[in-house]
Amino acid sequence: MAVSRRKFLTTTGGLALAAGLPLPALAQDRSIRHFWWGNPERDRRTFEVIEVFDKNHPGISVSGETIGWGDYWTKMATQTAGRNMADLVQMDYRFLFEYVRRGALQELDPFIGNGLDLSNFDKGPLQGGMVDGKLYALNIGSNSQVFVYNETIFEEAGVADTDVINWTWDQFADVCKTITEATGGKVKGSDDCSVVLEVCEVWIRQNGSSFFGPEGDVTVTPDIIADYWQFWRDLRDAGVLRSADKSLDANLPMSDVGIVAGDTAISNFWSNQIVGVQALMQDPVGAAMVPHKEGGDPGQFIKPSMFMSLTRDSEDPEAAIMYMNDWINNPEATKILGLERGIPANPDVRAALAPDFTPAEKVSVDYFNAIQDKVGPLPPPEPKGAGEVRDAFIRAATNVVLGDIAPQQAAEVFVDDAQAIIDRAR
Amino acid sequence: MKNTKARNASGYMFLAPWLIGFFLLAIGPILVSLYLSFTRYDMVGDPRWTGLDNYIYMFTRDRRFWKTLEVTFHYVVFAVPLRLIMALGVAMLLDKGLRTIGLYRAIFYLPSLLGASIAIAILWRQLFSIDGVVNQVLAVFGIQGIGWITNPSTSIYTLIVLAIWQFGAPMLIFLAGLRGIPKDLYEAADIDGTPRFRKFYAITLPMLAPVVFFNLVLQIIEAFKIFSPAFIISNGTGGPADSLLVYTVYLFNEAFKFFRMGYASALAWVLLVIIGLFTALAFATSKYWVHYENERD
Repeated sequence: MAVSRRKFLTTTGGLALAAGLPLPALAQDRSIRHFWWGNPERDRRTFEVIEVFDKNHPGISVSGETIGWGDYWTKMATQTAGRNMADLVQMDYRFLFEYVRRGALQELDPFIGNGLDLSNFDKGPLQGGMVDGKLYALNIGSNSQVFVYNETIFEEAGVADTDVINWTWDQFADVCKTITEATGGKVKGSDDCSVVLEVCEVWIRQNGSSFFGPEGDVTVTPDIIADYWQFWRDLRDAGVLRSADKSLDANLPMSDVGIVAGDTAISNFWSNQIVGVQALMQDPVGAAMVPHKEGGDPGQFIKPSMFMSLTRDSEDPEAAIMYMNDWINNPEATKILGLERGIPANPDVRAALAPDFTPAEKVSVDYFNAIQDKVGPLPPPEPKGAGEVRDAFIRAATNVVLGDIAPQQAAEVFVDDAQAIIDRAR
Repeated sequence: MKNTKARNASGYMFLAPWLIGFFLLAIGPILVSLYLSFTRYDMVGDPRWTGLDNYIYMFTRDRRFWKTLEVTFHYVVFAVPLRLIMALGVAMLLDKGLRTIGLYRAIFYLPSLLGASIAIAILWRQLFSIDGVVNQVLAVFGIQGIGWITNPSTSIYTLIVLAIWQFGAPMLIFLAGLRGIPKDLYEAADIDGTPRFRKFYAITLPMLAPVVFFNLVLQIIEAFKIFSPAFIISNGTGGPADSLLVYTVYLFNEAFKFFRMGYASALAWVLLVIIGLFTALAFATSKYWVHYENERD
């Protein structure tokens, strides 16, 4: 159909006029942006929530922007520098303090009870979003470390009755050996977690230490990290771990992780990922705690898996808060979101969701309930430079896995490097 | 007089788009980055003047800076000559006066067109991964492959092979150069019964020297600036164990991952100096091996 320019202009102009008429002039151009890191499933759910919000709040339009985790922080940094941040951004515990200290986020306290209803919100999860006693980030799901295991293989290998909530590192090693033998080496016991700082952190806490001290200095001793690398090295030498070549990437896509690829029976994840892992697998999965140290401290902790924050660049905070409030309180929205971002902190929401749980969701919630009294306190906020320390850890561990350097020596160099990185970031 | 002024004005008017672009999008940012290289700037607050701190840190304390130089030089030293040899070889094969030469030229140029794209880098990741095509082919011959990309001692070579494969642009320039060599030189050599190898050495190479030189300079500059394949193949980290940490990937991560825009600017200026030095070196040596036919003594 050929449309002349003039005709096009009159038609669209008329439409715009008609659309503008029934609404007050002020309300029609309110718009907010929401930016999150996602995956196809999360994006689908989020866009559905945006549709619901748009329907319930005519006059406000929400535009969603999404990108993978890897590029998310790059884009965020660029937008922050360009003073062009979305109104609402998804935040991570690791980065929250850096962004607050840069002055990029707005305090939420003035909105509590004034647009933002938190009366029914668990206090623990709320705490995680506070910096210097002020709320800067709203918890939109909690999670914890988890070792996901393949139930079918556990049964076939005869280790299905292991108490995976209370097991120790020795028991874990035995399970790995039994599984590798039972499958004739076709499926190894576990992924090699040498390069995984998140599991190492649990190990460090079990040994009565912590990675960073309250002042942000590196407080862990090289010996503890060396022991950790030595533990995995012994298992590697025993041939019960995934091959070294596949164990050097700490940011593997979910489909390439050992348990999903069918290489191993156990892999480490965050508990909100259980549902995603199950979606990629035929065999049913179970959830185990990171093994304990005999007589050691609790190592795991429950952490906010994701936050939503209001940014400095928001021009219509009122509308943004309306959206934020719906996100945690509106039953229509919470039902769409489900457990995909972690366990919701509103008990009513959890109760409303329970009848419709899929088996994997039930595994996540049962796991979450089972570990409640076996976890330690949330570690202090990470200092500036923590992200770079994680990269340095992966580099050091890579050299250990490849056998280029002994664990003790690598750990000493790494702890030095880590402190240097922190000093430089100050 | 008035007339000239008006004509000048309209001249500048026509130049305006270019001038604005040049000053706003090129010179402006370049000067800003020079200023930023003397500051500490996290992209949110204001830049803070720190004098030469960035440069001093770079040369005295930053171990990864030396690592990234090592990786980059390793890449340049292998990728540039190998790509040029490949390009020259293919150009000479194509210079036989084939009837379908246009088709072949297009086919051989194709990898260079695709080369800069993200898709090829991702494809490369798949080819050389532990379960990838390369290892599957090796398995046919009973060879157990390794994780070419995940193994720090081989990962850089996957990058070099990719560079060699993209020989199209220098090949086209070589091809034009070969066409320019007078045929009578070869005819004279044929009459004397000169062996083929000697013809290559005594006629083709010296006559082609200016073109070789041109390609060499271009390729050195390009190789130092390698970014996207290394970034994609290493998943943006420069890993495993920094084996793919080429200079620009390090620079990018300092700027956009760790928010050290000041330090990254300093890195960029040092890269500029390095590329300048190597280009100057190429020019300095050129008078010993490059001769221009129309040169007058």
